[in-house]
Amino acid sequence: MLFRLAWATLSRHRSRTLLAVLGVAVSAAMLLDMVMLSSGMRASFRELLLTRGFQLRLAPKGTLPFDTDATIPKVSEALRTLRAMPDVATVSPVLGGQLHVEVAGRVITAATIGADPLVQGDYEVVTGRAPAAPNELVASDDFLRVSGLHVGDTLSAAAGYDPQLRSFAGRRTLTVVGRAHFLYMAAGQLVVSVPLATLQDMQGSRARDRASLVMIKARDGASVESVLQRIKSALPSVSAVSIETAMLQVDKRLSYFRQLAFILGAVSLAVGFLLVTTLVTVSVNERLGEIVVMRAIGVVRGRIVLQIVLESVAIMVVGALCGLGLGLATARYLDSILSSFPGLPAAMHFFVFEPRDAWTALGLLTGAGILAGIYPSWRGASLPIAVTMREEAVA
Amino acid sequence: MIPALLVAALIPSIGQTIDSTPPHRSPRTVAIDERLAADTRLRLGDYVILSSAPGAAGLVGAASDTVIVSAFVKRRADPSEVARAEYRVRMHLDQLQTLIGYGDRVDRFAVGTPTLAAADSAIRQINAAAFGFQGFRSRDIAVQTSRTFAVVSRFHRAIGVITIVASAIFLLCIMLLKVDERRRDVAALRLLGISSRSIIRGVMVEAALVAGVGSVVGVALGWIAAQIINWHYRGVYRTPLAFALVTPGIVLLAVSLSLALGLIAGFLAAQRLVRTPPLALLTGRREQSAPREPAATA
Amino acid sequence: MSDAIVLAASDLRREYHMGEELVHAVRGVTLEVTRGDYVAIVGPSGCGKSTMLNLLGGIDRPSGGTVTINGSRIDGMRDAEATRFRLHNIGFVFQRFYLMPALTAIENVELPMAEAKMNAEDRVHRARELLAYVGLGARRDHRPAQLSGGEQQRVAIARALANRPQILLADEPTGELDAKTGADMIALLAQVNRDGTTIIVVTHDEDLAGAAKRVVHMRDGVVVDDHRQDSR
Repeated sequence: MLFRLAWATLSRHRSRTLLAVLGVAVSAAMLLDMVMLSSGMRASFRELLLTRGFQLRLAPKGTLPFDTDATIPKVSEALRTLRAMPDVATVSPVLGGQLHVEVAGRVITAATIGADPLVQGDYEVVTGRAPAAPNELVASDDFLRVSGLHVGDTLSAAAGYDPQLRSFAGRRTLTVVGRAHFLYMAAGQLVVSVPLATLQDMQGSRARDRASLVMIKARDGASVESVLQRIKSALPSVSAVSIETAMLQVDKRLSYFRQLAFILGAVSLAVGFLLVTTLVTVSVNERLGEIVVMRAIGVVRGRIVLQIVLESVAIMVVGALCGLGLGLATARYLDSILSSFPGLPAAMHFFVFEPRDAWTALGLLTGAGILAGIYPSWRGASLPIAVTMREEAVA
Repeated sequence: MIPALLVAALIPSIGQTIDSTPPHRSPRTVAIDERLAADTRLRLGDYVILSSAPGAAGLVGAASDTVIVSAFVKRRADPSEVARAEYRVRMHLDQLQTLIGYGDRVDRFAVGTPTLAAADSAIRQINAAAFGFQGFRSRDIAVQTSRTFAVVSRFHRAIGVITIVASAIFLLCIMLLKVDERRRDVAALRLLGISSRSIIRGVMVEAALVAGVGSVVGVALGWIAAQIINWHYRGVYRTPLAFALVTPGIVLLAVSLSLALGLIAGFLAAQRLVRTPPLALLTGRREQSAPREPAATA
Repeated sequence: MSDAIVLAASDLRREYHMGEELVHAVRGVTLEVTRGDYVAIVGPSGCGKSTMLNLLGGIDRPSGGTVTINGSRIDGMRDAEATRFRLHNIGFVFQRFYLMPALTAIENVELPMAEAKMNAEDRVHRARELLAYVGLGARRDHRPAQLSGGEQQRVAIARALANRPQILLADEPTGELDAKTGADMIALLAQVNRDGTTIIVVTHDEDLAGAAKRVVHMRDGVVVDDHRQDSR
């Protein structure tokens, strides 16, 4: 009967209830988006970093991986040290750079990753195979599309140019042996990967025995933290970065979005709360007579409170359920905007849906619904019966 | 190229490399950014050792240089740099080239032209003459470097649209409630012979007042929020950038939107009231639905 | 208190502030009502009769004096206790019917039974019986706004009888009805009384007062006359 009465009361003013549900739905959509935003980029970034299972990264001292053009000197020494560590399973050095590729009379510049094809963690070969010889490369879809090259084609590439001699420097003839999906690259970026030694050679003296980054996989069962500490003490001249450190750095850089998510989420919740409080308060004011009569015929205060809170929670929950679809649609749209950040890996997302987010939003809205119903229900339940009936009769 | 330079200050309190021997030649000067100065407590006139490799500072034969801090540089209000937390050191070109072993090379030139129109022909000539060089207009580079900011702006605009939709529904709901609350008064007025037109006009004036007062309060709250946001994020990112601005255009948009929405909501709600017979408004019977089974005679 | 006395009020007083002024609405009324009685409280407007009814029904607390129903003192009961007591022992009928507009006639009648935790099947059965008893068996699925004033008051009486109360308190039950419907209502209340329910009614309606077995006259918060109408 309690549910029936709450439902019947809400149905009495259909347009009003519908508008409130719609308002809550928009607030709920926004709240869901903000919950997704606050945790999504962290989750997405973490997933991205762990795609190939490398838990640690070494970068030049004072920098983050690929944050600057700085490189780690004497990298072979560092690799020897790392490989000698019993808890280190895989070590993958990476050198970043650019290759200028001459195709049909024009020059295409591609971001280039020099890595050991056997242990690399930067790309996944989609068709063809990974480079097996020094003069082989794999390329991204976008590079192949823009260059018009195919797997099996041969190209001429250079790592730089000499303005005085007006010629390319570090020129090589390379064969495309595979099409690859590059995990950390931005959408649309032209990328190729050659063996590390090839790129070091092509870049000349400035890249000799250098790497931009070393990725490390700890042995199964080994404590990543203790491996990190061991690396830090063995190699003090590089920055050892764990996933957690990287996450902290990303958190710091993207703190604006987390704070924005918090503020907008709070505002959405407040708007939904205010809307429902106003609606339910007006509704209670309109039926003071009914409420006191219920009290007069023997309905206890708790039941009145419950019925009014139920009305407010019903609006919130129905609104929240309607807002779920809306939230997912707007999240998709907002993600497409933020994913176009220059240089952001294409695999990185700001809005990632997890059922937990929907439950969080629903829980918050239900809580807000209960709070929204508390004032009007307290007001309704604490009305003095005789006085209110007299006032209602006068009205 | 952005080399990562390591700065070891000659200040005992920092606990970095301390060079007790005076420099053998007159040191050159560098400018450092305010963040570095604040975080390391460096002062003008302090000696620092710069090196391109960690641990190289002060070592004989290593690529390092002792310099004097001669100026502090303020960060530019550049959106593309807002989230970057690294320190900046400005030094003479040859000094940096030597320090990082870059040789006789630079990353880019800035070229001035006498007129704006001359820029295009200069770019053409540069691109034609210098193999491997690529000339860009400063404006195009600015567009490229502020792409991050453009994305954030688009995101804010999208959020703004969602907020406007939510506000519109909120306002419509409130106006509907307000007008509904007045249904007995409206019924009494209509029974007294006041025309529907006058009632609608009255309700709309009330709606406009509510929306107007609400938007003034909203603008004041928005201004206060903008001050807090700017104060907070300027502190977080150590930048003079303004993150939130309440401009006359935004105020005009907010107030006019609020007034328009208020008037529409008031009109719709008033229309609903005047179309209902006054007696039905008094008894509230208009809200009842049809019986579930045929009514027997009363 | 004798077994036959179902309600006893002793030196009942009720004062309240209206602005600066202290209003003495009821000033020391003593009243006893026997089981099966039909009492009409009459008097001019503002004489305190409605306040008296509220005190007797436990929906207002007296400033002084006692109210005992079936041996239970209700004047000192806590709110929840008094509410439970009303649910099981007292039926209320109001001048303005006060049905729940969102519920149908049968749901309105079911409401007190649902509150008393009666199972759904039993309460639907009893609600149908009661609606048939008040002559509205065919209109049980109508909402209040689809019923005439007289029909709404009949539903209100059915609701008041839902939990088989021993006392029915009615405040101006014919106040909003026309003469013909009012007469039907008077007949219905008489029937309810004949069927064993004690009724106390507050009214201006001479016909309704005339139908009662006992008439209590109030003026300025005190009982000025209390007599039986033996002819009834």
